[in-house]
Amino acid sequence: MDRFYVLLTGFLSVVLVNNFVFTKFLGTCPYVGVSDRISSAFGMGLAVTFVTALSGTLTWLIDDLVLIPLGLEIARYICYIVIIAGAVQLVEMYVRKFVPSLYKAFGIFLPLISTNCVVLGICLFLDVWETDNLLEAAVLSTGVGIGFTVAICIMACIREQLKLADVPDCLKGMPITLITAGLLALAFMGFAGMI
Amino acid sequence: MMILAEISGWWYGVAAGLTMLGLGGAFAIVLLIASVKLKVEVAPEVERIHQVLPHLDCGGCGFAGCMEYAKAILQDPGLIGKCSPGGPATSAKIAEMLNLQVSDSGPQKRPIVHCRAHTDDRTMYAEYEGIQSCTAANALANVQACAFGCLGLGDCTRACKFDALHVVDGLSTVDYNKCTGCTACSKACPRNLIEMVPFRFENMMTVACSSKETGKSTRAFCKVGCIGCGVCAKQSDAFTVEDNLARINFEKYQPCGQTEAAYNKCPTGVIVYRGKSAPAPRQPARKEEVAVKA
Repeated sequence: MDRFYVLLTGFLSVVLVNNFVFTKFLGTCPYVGVSDRISSAFGMGLAVTFVTALSGTLTWLIDDLVLIPLGLEIARYICYIVIIAGAVQLVEMYVRKFVPSLYKAFGIFLPLISTNCVVLGICLFLDVWETDNLLEAAVLSTGVGIGFTVAICIMACIREQLKLADVPDCLKGMPITLITAGLLALAFMGFAGMI
Repeated sequence: MMILAEISGWWYGVAAGLTMLGLGGAFAIVLLIASVKLKVEVAPEVERIHQVLPHLDCGGCGFAGCMEYAKAILQDPGLIGKCSPGGPATSAKIAEMLNLQVSDSGPQKRPIVHCRAHTDDRTMYAEYEGIQSCTAANALANVQACAFGCLGLGDCTRACKFDALHVVDGLSTVDYNKCTGCTACSKACPRNLIEMVPFRFENMMTVACSSKETGKSTRAFCKVGCIGCGVCAKQSDAFTVEDNLARINFEKYQPCGQTEAAYNKCPTGVIVYRGKSAPAPRQPARKEEVAVKA
């Protein structure tokens, strides 16, 4: 039960309290770039969730089984990038061949985000937080992806409304988007102290 | 996990290098095998067709981008004439690639806006301050006196990816030099005012009104609306009057003395030329001279 509680609080923390987009400012490029329409935003969120879940667990495993025993923590950065890029490429090929409907939904985003800082970020944070078992690593990395999805979907809904609103000319487009992102970050601050 | 080896000194660098090599090599081999086993065959014909298309991904053909259209053409060669930005040149090239005889798909289609009321010509019931979109304004009643005419809030302008539609003085206007016939504007107009017409001549004559109200009502709220008087129909059989609205049959239309006469005799000047070198519309006759069908 204790274990479950730890996992649950960890998950909620990474989705709401310490959302990677709003508190750590990672992954803002796809966040601002793809949040025009809700359909593409949701696809992007799915892709990020998928990549973070896969990369987080895989890199934690390699770290635990290869790098730490050999004392080669110094090679973490390069190692992680190789693993992330390779794994994502592999999965993209698989999805393209065997599940074309899923590929249509988010396949094109996969190569775009494989080297995004949010993915490398979660891999490195798993070390900083001293995650000591595989399940926790898996849950936390999936949680980061889900947090990103929540953030980008909210932003997409707001931006669709903003398109029809009376925004001053100097703020149209990117400026109002960034201001909105800032306001959302402020709003999410309200979750602090919840856990 | 237990430490397998205590590495120190310059062996450390060697160990790091070898590990990276091992990891990189392992992934490289896996990816190599995967790229062969999980290969998705894109037929080379699709790639060749795709190269010839304009790569604008405008959706005018009805497909989600040029690649989808290329795939569809392979399935059904009857879809060849659909690329408007590419034009007949592209269709001919594709047909040549597929070794088919392509019959001329006809004259290019271009949009015609069936309204010619500018801000001064029309009557508004209220000052509209809602969402600045034609679809939104159309959903409300009593924004504009004419329930059929152009609202001028720019849904068509935003839909056009080629900068060919503009709202000029409250009326949606087409720039025929930039238009590629992709039909996006036609689909965007909530009042279905924009019709895609085969432009058999450089300038097409059209009745620029869609008002089905009686002549008296139309006259009350629009200076340049069609009053359904039928003078044009008497001059030329390309015109018919139905539901208080004159229409021109674009297939039958030929520039000739009869259509010229209809153009000149129209009391409200609602018959206009649309096209690349169209002359300015005629001004309506004074109110007293108009014979109104009550």
